[in-house]
Amino acid sequence: MSYVEKIKKYKLQIITAVLYLITVVYKQEMALYAAQITFGYLKEMIQILPAVFIISGLITIWVPKEVVMKNFGKESGFKGKTFSILMGSVSAGPIYAAFPVAFSLLSKGASISNVVVIISAWAVVKIPMLLVEAKFLSLNFMMVRALFTIPAILLVGYITGRLVKEEDVMANKDESDFRKNIIIQIESVLPHYDCGGCGYKNCRRYAEDIVAGKSDIDQCSVGGEEVQERIQEILRPISLE
Amino acid sequence: MDTIVLIAITILAFTIAFVKDKSKTKKSMEVAKKMFQNTFLEVLTIMALVALFLSWIPASVIKNMLGNANEMLSIVLGVAIGTITIIPAFVAFPLAGSLLESGAHLRAIAAFITTLTMVGFATMPIEIKYFGRKFTFVRNGISILAALLIALGMGLIL
Repeated sequence: MSYVEKIKKYKLQIITAVLYLITVVYKQEMALYAAQITFGYLKEMIQILPAVFIISGLITIWVPKEVVMKNFGKESGFKGKTFSILMGSVSAGPIYAAFPVAFSLLSKGASISNVVVIISAWAVVKIPMLLVEAKFLSLNFMMVRALFTIPAILLVGYITGRLVKEEDVMANKDESDFRKNIIIQIESVLPHYDCGGCGYKNCRRYAEDIVAGKSDIDQCSVGGEEVQERIQEILRPISLE
Repeated sequence: MDTIVLIAITILAFTIAFVKDKSKTKKSMEVAKKMFQNTFLEVLTIMALVALFLSWIPASVIKNMLGNANEMLSIVLGVAIGTITIIPAFVAFPLAGSLLESGAHLRAIAAFITTLTMVGFATMPIEIKYFGRKFTFVRNGISILAALLIALGMGLIL
């Protein structure tokens, strides 16, 4: 990696370090206070994130697509919404911990609106958090807020589901010509972990080289045979040409 | 408490998976490791940034904003502060409680808490990484409106 690429990649980290340096010079206690809070966040992250990632990994490899589709997919209806709220509200950790789990479910066929409901419920209607809220604000405040929040979450899920389509999440929207379209289709069946197992930097690059004829379709170790078959299906119209 | 339950469930799921099929479980762990590497540093950096902003803005400033004479303005400010920052629940609720006691508006507090947890400018880079720009902007935008609705609705009842 060149220096320019490295700087680009760690842009955010560099900015943060500079801001901390400025704060230390300006007022030492301030930076110390910030470092203390950061340490608190770090403790929370270390407790929660490994578990969250392991569960996401297990979902990705183990849970069959049909099961997710049946319980969280477009046709799952009321049951799907109930499951989504339950799943979010019994989970632990702040909103960023919800993203990997929700993404694993989305790539297995959960609908966009259910994914939004899971993320939102994960963030605002968590049971242990409600108890803290009742203690510091009031039982009344907590209950009324929860009463309004649940329908609001369902509404946010519904609207987001209407406005955003699965393809928007899986690929860039402005790609229009046929070749790019095929690349997008292949990319959408790849697991999206950018694990590098195929020898490429990310799933996108691998998909590009398949369409360019520079790579075989059996390189994705995470996706295995199932993905290979689906790529073959997508490529069928080209090979007929 | 919930953290312990989460870890226990994870260990249980992992053990069952491992007993059933070693190589499949190994694959799952590779996926988990990759996700972890892709996200951990970014999350930590963002948390460090949020902590820095919190140290710049003392609680008294937030209190003044949420207790503004103009209640509508307080609600909007509650949404704005909640959107920009992420504060863990164990800090946010005691803070919100003391703000309410010292004269902040109830609806402003409700808007503040709801956006605090559901909407996050700070976590947007992570969300974009997983779900893309369109999903992230739409979800956060609509959630802000929903938070406003929740706050206004609470004002009617309480």
